[in-house]
Amino acid sequence: MSAKEFKPLPAQPAPVTTTGPVAWVRDNLFSSAFNIAATIIIAASLVAALPGMIDWLFISANWSGVTQDECVKDGACWVFISAWSQQIFYGSYPTDEIWRVNLSLLLLTAVIASSFLLSDRLRNKISIPAFLLLPFVCLLLLDGSMIGLPPVTTDLWGGFSLNVLLAAASIIIAFPFGFLWALGRRSEMPFARSVSVTCIEFFRGTPILALFFMGSVMLPLFFPAGVTVDKLLRVWIILILFMSAYMAEVFRSGFQAIPNGQYEAADSIGLGYWQKTLLIIFPQVIKVSMPNILATFVMVFKNTVFLLVIAVPEMLQVIMSALSNSNWLGGHAIEGYLFVGFIFWACCFSMSLLATTIEKKLDTSHKN
Amino acid sequence: MSAGNQTNENVDDRDIIVIKDMNKWYGNFHVLKDINLTVKKGERIVVCGPSGSGKSTMIRCINRLEQFQRGSLTVNDVEMIDDVKNIEAIRREVGMVFQHFNLFPHLSILDNLTLGPIWVQKKSKQEAEAIAMNYLERVKIPDQAHKFPGHLSGGQQQRVAIARSLCMAPEIILFDEPTSALDPEMIKEVLDVMVELAEEGMTMICVTHEMGFAKKVADRVIFMDGGEIVEQNTPHEFFDHPETDRLQLFLSQILQH
Repeated sequence: MSAKEFKPLPAQPAPVTTTGPVAWVRDNLFSSAFNIAATIIIAASLVAALPGMIDWLFISANWSGVTQDECVKDGACWVFISAWSQQIFYGSYPTDEIWRVNLSLLLLTAVIASSFLLSDRLRNKISIPAFLLLPFVCLLLLDGSMIGLPPVTTDLWGGFSLNVLLAAASIIIAFPFGFLWALGRRSEMPFARSVSVTCIEFFRGTPILALFFMGSVMLPLFFPAGVTVDKLLRVWIILILFMSAYMAEVFRSGFQAIPNGQYEAADSIGLGYWQKTLLIIFPQVIKVSMPNILATFVMVFKNTVFLLVIAVPEMLQVIMSALSNSNWLGGHAIEGYLFVGFIFWACCFSMSLLATTIEKKLDTSHKN
Repeated sequence: MSAGNQTNENVDDRDIIVIKDMNKWYGNFHVLKDINLTVKKGERIVVCGPSGSGKSTMIRCINRLEQFQRGSLTVNDVEMIDDVKNIEAIRREVGMVFQHFNLFPHLSILDNLTLGPIWVQKKSKQEAEAIAMNYLERVKIPDQAHKFPGHLSGGQQQRVAIARSLCMAPEIILFDEPTSALDPEMIKEVLDVMVELAEEGMTMICVTHEMGFAKKVADRVIFMDGGEIVEQNTPHEFFDHPETDRLQLFLSQILQH
């Protein structure tokens, strides 16, 4: 029996008007009367506002000098920022010991970089322990008294480096905590579940400002006489607990995205509870939760500025005290707040870019 | 190819699965009613029945993906009780292949296969990989070892899933509608692997609607409805001389087209 031969049709290119820059502009900027009007209004307001802004920010700005008297031009007085830069970044940390802060930041960068550059197996063996050790290494290094360096008490720590290190240290410790709480909340054991639910709901339902006040004012009242716990340490613990509660909920939503079949398959090959959780479920939870995990990171990082209400000299607190310094009463609030805003924006934006990279890396395009 | 009604020389006298008076409820819904089933080592059993008849639930009880409330179950002389040791011992002997494959999407094919041998049987990585490659060759996809499950077709994924359970060297493999989620063109490649497995003497319990497969390899075909075993017989008797009117109706409906 002879059959008719089947010849597939060749693929043809898409019509020109549907791809390319012209089509993009037409589809996105001029697709309807409303869109055309919006495009024109936005373009006009940009044209009106941008030159003035650029002039104030850069062209007529004062870039060099050490006192505010040198700010003679009309534009921004960036001298204010450069004169205070050491305090803005390092607080009152002694100048001779600043290398310790820099080393801590460098270690943090190195550990983050290692988790990107190393192969999967080395990452599990090196980067994860390094992450978990990092907060304590930095603590020893910055404090100094335990490792034979000149001691620097925590009231001198401050500035942007404090925001970064405190946020990083909280995130790192909160990660395993949050995961345990999420597991506890899903657990069938009543004790584990009720403890987890109580912790999560308490720390998620209380504003971070209230928690900071509680930590700085109320908690010491409960300590026995003579026992003092360092203020920064209390703040750190509060940040960890607060962050853990949010991470727990992020992980819980991740857990719910994992199909039951994954648990069943793990059970059917005989994996135990922890093997199943860590080898099968955890990596997939991390993957689906990545955008939310990052959002939580950014939130905690930004929340560190609330520390100013309990007089921890983080970046914004430094700027505010610089603004009330008698030598700088010329009204530099706009420059100061713009600078803080810019630094935070730059950090959060790079975290977003980092997250996109991670998501691409994790996505082995195995969407079922 | 051997006909199903021919005696299976791989069957020996040892009872490997013994289910006695098994009853299961989902809340108040009685899903399994007085199930009694004994499977000998090397026996190939096909379970069929309308949806909701409890056939999947029954085989899922065998490796405790589901728990039953009354009755007893013994697998390879280990009784299924509420003890982690017993559960793990049974799961080591029972492999399972699912309707939706359930491969681990974040692991490569090779890692999917070596996970059990490495973490459960504590084999070395080299040994586990050698075993895995051997079974990948058996299911005819050794070239896919370093890809991820998402890159494979449904039929290939199901063959990987079969290889994954074989890597644990189980005494029994349970198949839970292994071809129901596959495109028609891929069903054959999976069935071929299952037929080969059956010919090698693996003890198998398959929940399936592939009646051709049942005729070809089964030693016994079981028909379930409403949570009970209605009828069981050799394929020849089962298809040609069904005893109950329920089975006659079922067969007339599925064999019509």
